[in-house]
Amino acid sequence: MKNLPRLLAASAVALLGTATAFVSTASASKPSPNVGLTTARPDAGAPNSGVVTDSSGQIIKYGSSAITYQTPAQLLGVSAAQLENLGKALYMQNCSSCHGEAANGVPAAGTPGAYPNLVGLGPAVVDFWIESGRMPAANPTTVQALRAKPVISHANALAIAAWVNSLQAGYPLVPQVNLSNASISDGAALFALNCAACHTITGGGDALADGTYAPSLHKIPVNQIVEAIRTGPGNMPMFTGNLSDAQVRDIVAYVSGPISHPANNGGLGLGGLGPVAEGFIGLAIGVGVLALLGFWVGERNNG
Amino acid sequence: MANAHETETPVSITTARSDDPHMQPLAQNPARVEVVIAILFVLGLICFGLFGYAYWVIAKPWTLGATIGSGLFLIGVGMVAWGKYLMPRGPFVEERHALASTTQERDAMSDALQNRGARLIGRRKALGGLLGGGLGVFGIVAAFPLLRSLGPLPKGTLFHTDWRKGSYIVDQSGRRVHEDDLLVSSIATVFPEGFQDTDNGQAVDQVVLIRISTSDVVTRKGRETWGPKGYVAYSKLCTHLGCPVGLYEQQMQTLVCPCHQSMFTVNDGAQQIFGPAPRPLPQLPLYIDAEGYLRSQSDFAEPVGPGFWERG
Repeated sequence: MKNLPRLLAASAVALLGTATAFVSTASASKPSPNVGLTTARPDAGAPNSGVVTDSSGQIIKYGSSAITYQTPAQLLGVSAAQLENLGKALYMQNCSSCHGEAANGVPAAGTPGAYPNLVGLGPAVVDFWIESGRMPAANPTTVQALRAKPVISHANALAIAAWVNSLQAGYPLVPQVNLSNASISDGAALFALNCAACHTITGGGDALADGTYAPSLHKIPVNQIVEAIRTGPGNMPMFTGNLSDAQVRDIVAYVSGPISHPANNGGLGLGGLGPVAEGFIGLAIGVGVLALLGFWVGERNNG
Repeated sequence: MANAHETETPVSITTARSDDPHMQPLAQNPARVEVVIAILFVLGLICFGLFGYAYWVIAKPWTLGATIGSGLFLIGVGMVAWGKYLMPRGPFVEERHALASTTQERDAMSDALQNRGARLIGRRKALGGLLGGGLGVFGIVAAFPLLRSLGPLPKGTLFHTDWRKGSYIVDQSGRRVHEDDLLVSSIATVFPEGFQDTDNGQAVDQVVLIRISTSDVVTRKGRETWGPKGYVAYSKLCTHLGCPVGLYEQQMQTLVCPCHQSMFTVNDGAQQIFGPAPRPLPQLPLYIDAEGYLRSQSDFAEPVGPGFWERG
């Protein structure tokens, strides 16, 4: 193959370029965290509409009929103090080796600053990372944590979130979405504008830069979709004041509905890559195999 | 059964006698093969019948595919087997006849042209002209759809968008964006108010609004007032080929174009750091009015989107 050396050279140049880009962006200053801040918009995940407080004035629930946000204790219907005690024990066992015993990202042994500070991030952040199976991380040094089967149960994840939140209250609280009045068509339009750039229009996910990628959205638990949109895990930006809770609910309905269950009439989606992939498979496998089969059946071996 | 060396050499199909080994079928028992092929054809026929039945009764892709696929396969195998086992085994040669015309034919042709045809052909000038005219007009009108497919004339949009001094920044639903709406590391695709009513509203006007801080940010010298309270706004059109640059990696602080992986740094004026984009993304100068709404100071200072003419 004559073009092979040229291809190899081009790949080497591309790799080098990516590496250079990584070095130049790694030093870029990162956005400062949103500790203690929430959007002022009343219907966008902030604790300023439909607020319910407990006897001591703590916000335990807020939101609308589209999405309600609750503290872990309120969600589970248990006492906050008990849950936080359980959460502390679980945290020390599963999380403290990296995030530190004060959850401030400073481990007893290891590099301070290498791990995120969790104080004041809000229960939804902690709940998302644990319930999506990304935390505890299988390998804390990878560029991006992978979605996996969660090793910590729903109730235990909420307990850890409750304890971290008891150090300094943050928002959003843990969301619960109600899809009963959702508009899938509005969700599709909002998905195309806000989500499809990275996750692709089929929701299958795609590569980004520097070894990161936008994960597939197929068959993600609905409340985790809300958590991701509102908190922006990893390299994903957060979507705050430009999406109301009702709009987020519409997106969730679209992502958990048509996106997760595409109508592949041919039986196989082929990644939803469109006519190029389909034509290629059709020609290479369909026609190719049939041609080989034809030759084999019709071959004349006199003798 | 003829032995190998008798059938290796091709014989002429026109001269081979009927008892020549080349003329015998490959099958040792043609009658039995015939039965097998007949069974294949009958099965194929049944499959086609089932296809018709499935079409009316259970028209699922897999039922249609399975029935017509099996039918075509069985018929095909039967046909190939027929050719292979029942036809004369060959191989044959068939001599090609001479390609050149005989002298007589050539003389007759030139006679026809010189003695009679030249006059006949010469008399059709008017028809020839009409034909040429018709084809000429066809050539001209055939260019119409070609030109039309280029779309409307860009007119001023090459240089200007609908962003004006004081344009309110609105999100996809037309809601004005307030300074307290977005948290740090949020992104929104925004437009100038009234974008739904303009031809270019959803094309050249689209802007990515990112909040990277809570305090004012200066992305570059000369842009001291452009990023109030940490809001920066860049044209969403890639300067390479105009794809929407919507991939914001908030930890890396880069915007990535999905088409050719051009990367732009968010912190210092969307400078291009990787990929084919020739220029940074144009930045939209913002300000926050007395009521706290985000507005644009002016249009972009430079044309948005891919290069054109001498902009390259």
